[in-house]
Amino acid sequence: MPASAREDRRPLLLRIDRLAAGAFSFLALLLGVYWVHQVFRGDDYARQAENNRQRSVPISASRGFILDRNGKLLAENEPSFTLLLYRRETQDVDGSLRFVSSLLGRGLDDLRRRVERSRTGYDFIPVVLDDDLTVAEVGAVEAHSLEHPELVVQTTERRVYTQGPVTAHLLGHLGEAGPEQVAARAGRVRAGEAVGQNGVEAAYQDLLAGTAGLRTFVIDSFGREVAELDRVDPLPGNTLVLNVDLDLQRLADEYFRDKVGTAVALDPKTGEILAFVSAPAFDPNVFSRRVSRAEWDAIVGNADRPLQNRAIQNVYSPGSIWKAFVAYAALTNGIDGSETVHCPGFANFYGRRFRCHGVHGTVDLRTALQVSCDAYFYTMGKRLGIDVLARTARTFGFSRSTGVDLGPEKTGTVPSPEWSRAVRKHAWYPGETISVAIGQGPLLVSALQAARAYAGIANADGALPVPHLFRIGEQVRSGARVAYRPPVTERIPYPPGVRETIVEGLWRVVNSPGGTAYRYRVEGLDICGKTGTVQVVGQKEAKKAHLLPEKLRDHAWFAAFAPRDDAKIVVVVFVENGLHGGSAAAPLATRLIEAYLRPGSVPPPAPPPPAPLPEATPPGGSTTAERGAPPLSPRRGT
Amino acid sequence: MSRLSEALPRRLDVPLLLSALVLSGIGIAMVVSTTSGTPRGGLGGRQALFLVAGLLVATFFAVFDYRLLLRASPALFAASFLPLVWLPIFGPTIAGAKSWIRLFGGFQLQPSELARITTVLLLAWILENDDRSFLSTRTVTALAVVVALPMTLVLLQPDLGVALTYAPFLLAALYLGGLPGRVWGALVLAGALAAGASWFVLKDYQKDRIRTFLDPDLAARGAGYQVRQARIAIGSGGILGKGWKEGTQSRLGFLPVRHSDFIFAALAEERGFAGVATVVGLYGLFLARGIAIARDARDRGGSMLVLLVVLNVVAQAAANIAMNVGLLPTTGITLPFVSYGGSSIIATWAMTGLVLSVAQRRFVNV
Repeated sequence: MPASAREDRRPLLLRIDRLAAGAFSFLALLLGVYWVHQVFRGDDYARQAENNRQRSVPISASRGFILDRNGKLLAENEPSFTLLLYRRETQDVDGSLRFVSSLLGRGLDDLRRRVERSRTGYDFIPVVLDDDLTVAEVGAVEAHSLEHPELVVQTTERRVYTQGPVTAHLLGHLGEAGPEQVAARAGRVRAGEAVGQNGVEAAYQDLLAGTAGLRTFVIDSFGREVAELDRVDPLPGNTLVLNVDLDLQRLADEYFRDKVGTAVALDPKTGEILAFVSAPAFDPNVFSRRVSRAEWDAIVGNADRPLQNRAIQNVYSPGSIWKAFVAYAALTNGIDGSETVHCPGFANFYGRRFRCHGVHGTVDLRTALQVSCDAYFYTMGKRLGIDVLARTARTFGFSRSTGVDLGPEKTGTVPSPEWSRAVRKHAWYPGETISVAIGQGPLLVSALQAARAYAGIANADGALPVPHLFRIGEQVRSGARVAYRPPVTERIPYPPGVRETIVEGLWRVVNSPGGTAYRYRVEGLDICGKTGTVQVVGQKEAKKAHLLPEKLRDHAWFAAFAPRDDAKIVVVVFVENGLHGGSAAAPLATRLIEAYLRPGSVPPPAPPPPAPLPEATPPGGSTTAERGAPPLSPRRGT
Repeated sequence: MSRLSEALPRRLDVPLLLSALVLSGIGIAMVVSTTSGTPRGGLGGRQALFLVAGLLVATFFAVFDYRLLLRASPALFAASFLPLVWLPIFGPTIAGAKSWIRLFGGFQLQPSELARITTVLLLAWILENDDRSFLSTRTVTALAVVVALPMTLVLLQPDLGVALTYAPFLLAALYLGGLPGRVWGALVLAGALAAGASWFVLKDYQKDRIRTFLDPDLAARGAGYQVRQARIAIGSGGILGKGWKEGTQSRLGFLPVRHSDFIFAALAEERGFAGVATVVGLYGLFLARGIAIARDARDRGGSMLVLLVVLNVVAQAAANIAMNVGLLPTTGITLPFVSYGGSSIIATWAMTGLVLSVAQRRFVNV
């Protein structure tokens, strides 16, 4: 027998029992811990596991196209190509950058900086190397996809404004949604998403944007997509047809290429906006790409403030175009249109001499409008008083929003003694009434307000229409259409003969010798209008206006409609520092009217300068791309 | 009775063998589940090959009289020691450590696993030769040296996880051999001091693991990421699990080394608490049968051999299971029988063969 037969095994057996008890207890403890995690807290962990493996990414909806009233394309989308670098797919990031640099001719330092900037991010999140590849460059990159799997081209859509600066203020542009825009459209707009800024793009953002889809997919621990779980297709945005006539728009844009100001054309009966130009403009396509600092500085740093929408966001003294409304006030407040006033070139009130721009002799209301006699309207203004003038101004829609489907709108100022006390904190000077009677003084109006008010004269029924751009919205999928025709709720009340008298005066401005715009008459069109000249400096200096520095020269207005009976178009043109309303503003107004009433009579303007979309050919890669048809579909991403 | 007739399988301990076989089967299934369809897709087949090799080795050890091995253990220990000395100096660096010897066909041998068997044999042999109620100082010194030598060499590779699997050997040997209470007190104190001192020896990544173990939120994406993802895998398994090959945490790669160190988390995810309880139960059965065999062993050396083997296997399993759920720091300890790895499978089965050998030769008249 072995030695162990003699040994006392009892201590060993006791130790074995204790050890066994300890070991089994520990196994039981382990089971308890697993029970807690798997059974008690299992649901919580299951949710975490789901979050681990699922990602949901919105699919952008195509933004709706924008057309003019004749179906001409104003805004569309084109594919845009972004070059992404997946650092996890390569051992040699710098080698990839050198390849991209030599293939596409991009600066190596710039590429390195882009990678450097995202160094802190996880390496499965791609770095954007370039966000504006040309089709040729896409082909060049795709041709090397086997050697460089880390380089991926992602296709997105970019907004293109076919007319560039011509429709800049009309359409607005796209830009990243700011915090307040995200808050205002909770759930519909994501932070950083491109949304309409200004113009039609902003006013009809919801209609144009469509509804984003959603793609849910399974990812692995590297963030790579493994399988698609669910897909909700996006609903493309609606097509938007505007009331604007591109031909008129381009005429106005061409006229303003070397000027500062605004032009608005309306259909007086409906309020349809036919042309809407503010100058200087900018190229809205710049905002569809990543705006470079130089481009941004050029726009923001411009002293003429091209981002300012002068048709609705600037208010000016109306000058003599105001006299039509004073004429209305006179005729509806007991003054006979045939009553005459003698104009010796000035008039005296309150011990002060108010100058007229000419010596007109004896003038009645019609003649006063025709020759724009200040002395006549000084006299009428004095007799009517500021309260009647202010009431009349409000009747014609001044100091209120026009209701246009664009925002934000400045409403201007119709001064009155109450306004003076409330805003200026001092009493109204009676002399100011005299100034207001010829459209000067603290009176401020926007060009769109002026156009709407002139529609109230042009319309035989006195209708004051709501200016609007929206004509038809069309759902791309169903073809369902909505039209917009805001009802006319305001009318100018015309006692018999009153409107005819004013219109006669306005007709003579253009069509009678001595009229301030007689030079710009168009045979057979019966254009009625009123010139306006707003003094920037005092009258004495203004005598030698053409010698003044440009910024101090008078502003020029022209408000017109045609034909005299049954008017079809109202035009208001305002040229900053344009000197005289007749010479600076009337030519465009008559040209727009002629182009609208006699289609084909006005030669179309020279095409706008080519949209500055750089299509630089890559020095290294073009040949590769042109040989084979470049595949445009992305290999990854949406 | 001849030795041959004793080797006949009529005294084969079926429950112990079955528990080991079922665990190995689960291991192959889990290796397949965690690796199929990935670049490591062939590992399941290789694991099956390792199991066959392990069973052959186990049969050899089960049939062979363990007493001969015990007597030869000093020589075997010395022989298995040579590659361990060679490795830290000349060995190829694989996965950051010099733990492997390259073999034909892309297979690699981990000499530390071989040394585990000879260490067990030598420890049992030393204990056999000191059968008083308390161990002599000489025996204690011998035990400590026998464990410390391979442990130190493995630490030099460096492979902290495998080195730590040697620690239970010494503790179990000392406990089973018998030490007075005051000596245990001194040992606990010394252990605490050594743990404190080890902080200055540990590599940065090892310190990181301990830090993240103490505070898993410390680095949710760093070293703590593994612990967190493993816990999500385990917890999301629920009671019945997500199903074979359906574990999103392991299949999508959120779970680290899921075919090896974290295979238990993958099992917990795909088989739920039911799978966890089954596997823990199988280790419990392995332990219970081992203890029964040790009690009935013909001699003190056999008892010691079985106890050391069984305790080592179960302690390593418990450590791995605890590590998976974040109860212990991540140390690279594999799950015996289940985790992928040829050397580990073959060595564990070899030791199981030793246990079966003792069972074959136990008292039959008790």
